[in-house]
Amino acid sequence: MNKSELIKTLAEQKELHTDDAAKIVNAFIDSIKDSLKTGERVEIRGFGSFKLKEYEGYTGRNPKTGEVVDVHPKKLPFFRPGKELKEYLNK
Amino acid sequence: MNKTLTKAEIVDAIYEQVDMNRAEIKSHVESLLEIMKESIKKDHALLISGFGKFEAYDKKARKGRNPQTSKSITLPPRKVVVFRLSRKFRSELNGNSE
Repeated sequence: MNKSELIKTLAEQKELHTDDAAKIVNAFIDSIKDSLKTGERVEIRGFGSFKLKEYEGYTGRNPKTGEVVDVHPKKLPFFRPGKELKEYLNK
Repeated sequence: MNKTLTKAEIVDAIYEQVDMNRAEIKSHVESLLEIMKESIKKDHALLISGFGKFEAYDKKARKGRNPQTSKSITLPPRKVVVFRLSRKFRSELNGNSE
């Protein structure tokens, strides 16, 4: 499923106008993204939590050419599925 | 300790943008999460453009050990979920420096 199918399914299930369902889904995703961008943790009970991990930069090597490259420091979100989601998937 | 965004605050954020009351929004958010869970289970993947992809994959059974009693046990096969972030969101998080 992708985002537009998610919007369509929500609209059908809750008898919403597609535009309203789209606004809800987009605002939902944006609020999670905005929090992660400011370094905030996100915790959605029953689904899972997101935490931003910061990685330091380092000097690496391109394994193919042996060339030295600088790997910049980076921030990547890490998702931890909640108990309910894990149980649901394995049910 | 950092602040944490919770479901209640997500509902508030949506409330600022849609003309509905909080109770309605809360109910829609719960439904949305259910749909997301079902999709991850059924399709093994949920792709949200500009954000990332949730992927479910199967892990085989393996032998493990109870670290407390050091008894050998067989861990059953199970499904796990991983989140892979989109390129767009990755560059947004990292100030487009890549």
